[in-house]
Amino acid sequence: MQYRHGAGRKIGTFMMFAGPATLVFAVVMVLPFLYGILLTFTDWDGKAVQLSFVGLANYATVFGDAAFWSSMLLTLRFAAFTVVLTNVVAFLLAFALSSGLKGSSFFRAGFFTPNLIGGIVLGFVWQFVFSRVLPVLGKLIGSGALSTSWLGDPGRAFWAMVIVTVWQYSGYMMVIYIAGLTSVPPELLEAASIEGAGGWAKLRRIILPLLVPSIIICVFLTIQRSFMVYDLNLALTGGGPYKSTVLVSMNVYQTAFLSQQYGPGQAQAFFLFLIVAAVSIAQVYFGKKREVEL
Amino acid sequence: MRASRVLTLVVSLVLASGAAFADKVSITLLNTKGEIQAPLESAAAAFNAENPGITLEIQPVQVGQSPFQVISSLYAAGNAPALYMGDANDMMQFSDKFANLKGEKWIKDSTDNFEQVTTISGAVIGFPLTVEGYGMIYNKAVLAKAGVDPAKIHATKDLEAAFKKVEASGAGALVIAPMDWSLGSHFIGISYSLAAKNQTGLMKLVDDLKAGKVELSKQKPFVGLLDTFDVMKQHNVRKADALAVTYDDCPALIGPGKVGFYFQGNWTWPQVSGFATDQDGFGFIPVPVSNVSSDKGNNGIPVGITKYIAIDKTQNSAAQQAAAKKFLEWLVYSKSGQSALVNDCNIIPAFKNITLQPKDPLAKSIRQYMSKDATLFWVNMPAPDHWSKVGASMQKYLVDKIDRAGLYKEIQDYWKALK
Repeated sequence: MQYRHGAGRKIGTFMMFAGPATLVFAVVMVLPFLYGILLTFTDWDGKAVQLSFVGLANYATVFGDAAFWSSMLLTLRFAAFTVVLTNVVAFLLAFALSSGLKGSSFFRAGFFTPNLIGGIVLGFVWQFVFSRVLPVLGKLIGSGALSTSWLGDPGRAFWAMVIVTVWQYSGYMMVIYIAGLTSVPPELLEAASIEGAGGWAKLRRIILPLLVPSIIICVFLTIQRSFMVYDLNLALTGGGPYKSTVLVSMNVYQTAFLSQQYGPGQAQAFFLFLIVAAVSIAQVYFGKKREVEL
Repeated sequence: MRASRVLTLVVSLVLASGAAFADKVSITLLNTKGEIQAPLESAAAAFNAENPGITLEIQPVQVGQSPFQVISSLYAAGNAPALYMGDANDMMQFSDKFANLKGEKWIKDSTDNFEQVTTISGAVIGFPLTVEGYGMIYNKAVLAKAGVDPAKIHATKDLEAAFKKVEASGAGALVIAPMDWSLGSHFIGISYSLAAKNQTGLMKLVDDLKAGKVELSKQKPFVGLLDTFDVMKQHNVRKADALAVTYDDCPALIGPGKVGFYFQGNWTWPQVSGFATDQDGFGFIPVPVSNVSSDKGNNGIPVGITKYIAIDKTQNSAAQQAAAKKFLEWLVYSKSGQSALVNDCNIIPAFKNITLQPKDPLAKSIRQYMSKDATLFWVNMPAPDHWSKVGASMQKYLVDKIDRAGLYKEIQDYWKALK
């Protein structure tokens, strides 16, 4: 047997271990992505055999499409609330469950379970809760805000979506925060106590800075998930009432498949990709700068 | 040694099964009518038993998927079904992929002139599957108790008087189903039907709407229908949270007689029947569009062919297309096929030779209107998202988020924005 030296051998080893996965990734994700970008410059309608190039016409349509931009704004608002609330709730839960209470493992498993339920089932369960269970409870306790379905009013339907999303993802982020919290060296905290630091000071000056990597990961994940939400949007509100909760992924789907305009739909999807990529990269970049080395 | 023995065994198995497959023709039908999936599958089993050389498989569409999305992806994947069940728009969209069924036996036996809709450049591409109709469903027992004669309601004021009498007798007047497809396609479709009168009129109306030449506030069918809608809104038993009503809530109200009226089509019979105390106690009356009793809209309900079956010619072999045509013939001419269509799937057939008819009261009511020739032209809107967008506008009008002028503007703007 011949041993190959240097670069050749490295490439050979790489291909053997990572080759299949790279090939699958390229075929399933990279190629369709590039082909999709190519399609945005044509007038393909989903079934025609001939393609003709139309230049930037589809992008011009997207720029002038008020419905797309208003759904983008709504998604930004949704993402802002969801990211902040999910991370705050997750951090508080993680903090409470890593202080050595009895039964922490049971609670950790319990809080993580909502994340295991798929988006469509989750949406239908909560739709049932918001439109049938809460009104009954609301009439019992005489609360006006609860006695009609939350899904019948644009403002409250928006908050219904925020609540369900926070409920779904807090558990997952909590697990990441717990991992971060348990890796804070206890000697540091002991040393701080000896020098007279109170709980709040310890949190601000020791725990949070050391938790920055976990915060970066959690914020990145929640941003990506809240921008791209579709299954929950479909199952919980369906974009209603009267299209007031159509988030941007649903807008893309409806433009492409409901209104049967593939070109503008694909162009909208590409815009969404650019915006989410820009936000995520910016967030990771600025986050990394605040990382503290032990 | 062992490996080569296993290999021989595998290869011979594959060859043997290949030989067996070569005898059977395998075709698929893409079913876009979820409520008949189970009866269609038993119909396929019966057809397969009678035709041992053909295997027909029924492919369903998932809840929430648009049929257009499913069929486009199947064509793109090179996996198109031999038979596709679609509506008139789908027939027109994919017309270049469908076989010409002009010489088929059942064309001369079909009822109304369905060819108007599915003849593209001289080729007939759609087999008419279902005849459906919609209107104001009434519960006979509730109306009898309130002293209302449904046959005498031919004007908006008659309907309003009926609502008040039903309420006085202790039941709710009506429930409005707020789904976008119900309001934006069926309900407002009545106005389009009366304004257009036929398919040619509809294409002209749509062109005028796209050019911005139509003022809906001056179109009597629209004004009159929406005046009736105002009356309906006032007496809606779920007025307080009108948009929270779901499609499943309504049969539970009209079936046992908690309300007297419900606007919907005969496709909802399986759901209503589940709640109905009297399995024969329902019928249709037209939704009034004016106070002039003799107006056409006050005396007829929209009835039309809602689903067609087309045969794919681009990705299915000649043998498969022939098998597909055999299935369509079997539906029309064989006893088991007719029984599957009418008794199991509960479909009103579009063929004169089929003497079997559905037994449910809504279908009987539709057949009465058909026999009196008191039907309105069924509108196939040549815009795929009309039901969704105009439906959303109707929902806003239902909860008074916009007023009548706002509704007219939104509908006019919708058409102007279409290319």
